[in-house]
Amino acid sequence: MELSRRTFLKSGVAAATAISVGIPISRIAAVAAAETEQDWRWDKGVCRFCGVGCGIMIATQDGKIVATKGDPDAPVNRGLNCVKGYFNGKILYGKDRLTQPLMRMTDGRFDKKGKFTPVTWDQAFDEMAIQFKKAYEEKGPTGIGVIGSGQWLIQEGYAMTKLMKAGFRSNNIDPNARNCMASAVAAFMQVFGIDEPPGNYDDIEYTDTAVAWGANMAEAHPVLWQRVIDRRLSHPEMKVVNITTFRNMTSEGSDLEIIIKPNTDTALLNYLAREIIQRDAVNQAFVDAHCVFCAGPTDIGYGMRATDKFAFEAEKDIQAREVEVTLTRDEAIGLGLDPEQVHTIAQSNTATAGKHWLVGFDDFKTGVEPYTLDFVAELAKGDSEESLDAFKAKLVRLADLYADPKRKLVSFWTMGFNQHVRGTWVNEQIYSVHLLLGKIAEPGNSPFSLTGQPSACGTAREVGTFSHRLPADMVVNIPKHRDITEQTWKLPPKTLNPKPGSHITKIMRDLEDGSISWIWVQVNNPFQHVANANHWLKAAREQDNFIVVSDAYPSISAKVADLILPVAMIFEKWGGYGNAERRTQVWREQVPPPGDARSDLWQILEFSKRLTLAEVWKEQAIPGLEDEGFEEGKLPDVMSAAQEMGYRPEMTLYEALFETPENKAFAWPDPVAKGHDNHTVKHLGVDWFVEKALFEEYAAFGRGHHHDLAPFDVYYQDDVRGLRWPVVDGKETPWRFNAKYDPYVKNGEIEFYGGAMKELVTGNLTGPTTQEKTKFPGKAKIFFRPYAAPVESPDGNYDLWLCTGRLLEHWHTGTMTRRVPELHRAMPAAVLDMNEKDAEERGLKSQDAVWIESRRGKIKAVIETTGRNRPPRGYSFMAFFDESVFVNKLCIDATCPISKEEDFKKTAIKIYKV
Amino acid sequence: MNLSGILVVVPPARVEDATRALNVLPGVEVHHVEPATGRIVVVQEAETVEGEVAALCRIKALPGVMLAEMVYHVFDETPPERDAIPAEMAES
Repeated sequence: MELSRRTFLKSGVAAATAISVGIPISRIAAVAAAETEQDWRWDKGVCRFCGVGCGIMIATQDGKIVATKGDPDAPVNRGLNCVKGYFNGKILYGKDRLTQPLMRMTDGRFDKKGKFTPVTWDQAFDEMAIQFKKAYEEKGPTGIGVIGSGQWLIQEGYAMTKLMKAGFRSNNIDPNARNCMASAVAAFMQVFGIDEPPGNYDDIEYTDTAVAWGANMAEAHPVLWQRVIDRRLSHPEMKVVNITTFRNMTSEGSDLEIIIKPNTDTALLNYLAREIIQRDAVNQAFVDAHCVFCAGPTDIGYGMRATDKFAFEAEKDIQAREVEVTLTRDEAIGLGLDPEQVHTIAQSNTATAGKHWLVGFDDFKTGVEPYTLDFVAELAKGDSEESLDAFKAKLVRLADLYADPKRKLVSFWTMGFNQHVRGTWVNEQIYSVHLLLGKIAEPGNSPFSLTGQPSACGTAREVGTFSHRLPADMVVNIPKHRDITEQTWKLPPKTLNPKPGSHITKIMRDLEDGSISWIWVQVNNPFQHVANANHWLKAAREQDNFIVVSDAYPSISAKVADLILPVAMIFEKWGGYGNAERRTQVWREQVPPPGDARSDLWQILEFSKRLTLAEVWKEQAIPGLEDEGFEEGKLPDVMSAAQEMGYRPEMTLYEALFETPENKAFAWPDPVAKGHDNHTVKHLGVDWFVEKALFEEYAAFGRGHHHDLAPFDVYYQDDVRGLRWPVVDGKETPWRFNAKYDPYVKNGEIEFYGGAMKELVTGNLTGPTTQEKTKFPGKAKIFFRPYAAPVESPDGNYDLWLCTGRLLEHWHTGTMTRRVPELHRAMPAAVLDMNEKDAEERGLKSQDAVWIESRRGKIKAVIETTGRNRPPRGYSFMAFFDESVFVNKLCIDATCPISKEEDFKKTAIKIYKV
Repeated sequence: MNLSGILVVVPPARVEDATRALNVLPGVEVHHVEPATGRIVVVQEAETVEGEVAALCRIKALPGVMLAEMVYHVFDETPPERDAIPAEMAES
């Protein structure tokens, strides 16, 4: 670039940056900014990466993105971006973008052992349909599966849910959000009877305290962390606490760092609850008016297979714990049992892990009684080089912060809580602490579950793309919810399958044991991100399964696929996301996708043309289905009822489910487009606005039912930067359950109006003692949950902890961020962070190449003892972005038995020199 | 070539020192300063994204820097020529 142009461009960039953040500049500089941008078209968008949901502005010229900037009008990020914001414009332009369907072929025909060969879309869909029908005819609706995403657009997730549940009558659809958010979701449902947080990000500017629990916010949620740091700098009372298993970047900005052992967060939260009671700090009026106390079973297993038939030999000892567990000494104490006795407990509640019953306050008090400072400090202290007294002082300081009635407090958490064999429990426990104190649902007092993906909330949760869910917090196994859904979707009664389908880990296990033989993966990389990967790679490549992967880049999942469908990315399509604070945000298509790449939505709709109603709405076998009104093991033939409703057997699923008269009423072109294109509509060859029609059809589920979205067009207004639902009478709801802010509160100032599981039997800590159910509408639950040890811990052979997670520069499995080649070079291989003394003890030093081995596999990596993550003795950390250091080959696929979310944070490993 | 507009915030008393330190960094130019609030706008030029990220880390590490985040990015590149099958897929 010539020097003068570059100098001019820099002046323009500087001036535009200053304007974005509100720094006054000279008239000359303003002119430079204007001239730099004069041929660019700016439009609003949303960052495609984490769950914070930063607003970005996108500039395009000649069908290409030329600039992006943090949106100064976005209330989430106020003009700032983190490094990942940078990638939004970059990720579209990687050299190895997939631009044509690719199928494994030999001699012009599909061959599982063949080489990837470019094919047309027709060839791709033809083979996909042949393989689908083979699996579906043989195994029925449970023989196929879809692995979706918390990065699905709202409309994509909705269309796939409708195709699977209403069309294929299969509940085997689950998003990668299962492994990110499911524990948070399960706890929201159990505690409040409705999903998603009471508060929002603005709590940061109202609070006096931020406590991060198992959340390295400085790396994983930097823009939000910046707001915390700003508050700390501007508000002298503000204190920040980092509770973590190893020192990380979040410690830098914290007043108090508490390093704990894995899984002891459950004990620490019981210590806080006990302290609150002992110090007489319970907000009695709040608890009496708005809460009940609950307990549940503790013999719930670890979400593993109950059989070791498929286990590697080395896995079998841990696998056996799914059936029977001998309690550790600390577990016995935590359950109020005699620690000198051996307690061997059959795991009888693995299938009913989430059940619970009412108990009294005295039961709760008895439950937390063992969690004294002495017991918890000994159990939880994570850094062997810290003194017990110093650690105790920290726990007391933490209790001081929580228990102070004058102090406002926000608790933040993410994967440390969620990816946890007791993930639902620990989520419930943080609510217990906040509820005991009444520190909830008002500005500055907020237990807040952060999310990891841009639409984990907006799509995976709100649309209900999980194997048990329907839109607007409804579920498949409640008859009334199915009725509402069948009526909204205009389906014959009993079309929907009442038996929950396979969650993401189970879809993988089903591929391995042959109960599923066809899957479609969209907007995620499960063959890299699901734990215990060696099993699933083999199931995909060496067994007779057909794997379809829609992807933008050659991810591991694309490489193990039989058919790859190239996709349009983020700003190459119309779409909407929902962030962690219930904010729904949208964008227009900005640039065309490359080559033959097409949106996931187009792919879903085109594939739905390949099947007719006669093929799916006939009688279907569902193994294990037992539900009132259904013949055992069967879904009924609904075709004759359908014909009475005007459907014809030869109608395609596209005609029946998507191209409905109501949807066709949304005409394309539409003035809201302001001249922007729509490749999905164009390639479907239709004149209706697919994204708008599906958004409005979906929104009907939530309106009037606590989940109101605004009309589609409102989100596109120039002065709107997303709206936090419920949006009632044009107004968003910043704080839920509080009458000052939430129009759904009808009784009193605070009302936890979520309706799920608000009628229970009563009992004590060990079980129910009555049959009679009590209703408690409007109340939230305070759960007692005991400490539980991890399913596997280091021993004489596998002698180190391994925790996995995310880094600032790379996101998730790196499918997108690794495509920016220079960045890939900067961090070419994930390193294993470990303690220097642990390395020395093994005759190793920083930068040595080592083998890392677990019961499930081994990989090669380089160790680092002076990185930004500083594990204590006995502990190690590795990021999971790097497919060449395939850490999920090591990780255990145990899950929280309630949420079915995997625990990526606690695997026992050993390391030795290569 | 990558150009980024970065907002740097330092305590108002340290604006002059920080401005000097920033201007010494390779590829970094200070363009706007608001002494009353300690806010500084710099433009960072780098050949690669890697260079951009490294430079941002250097800025964050300067004494007194409370905040340094990217605000604005300009991409001045031609989209790459692509193969029908990316090289690494041909081997799978």
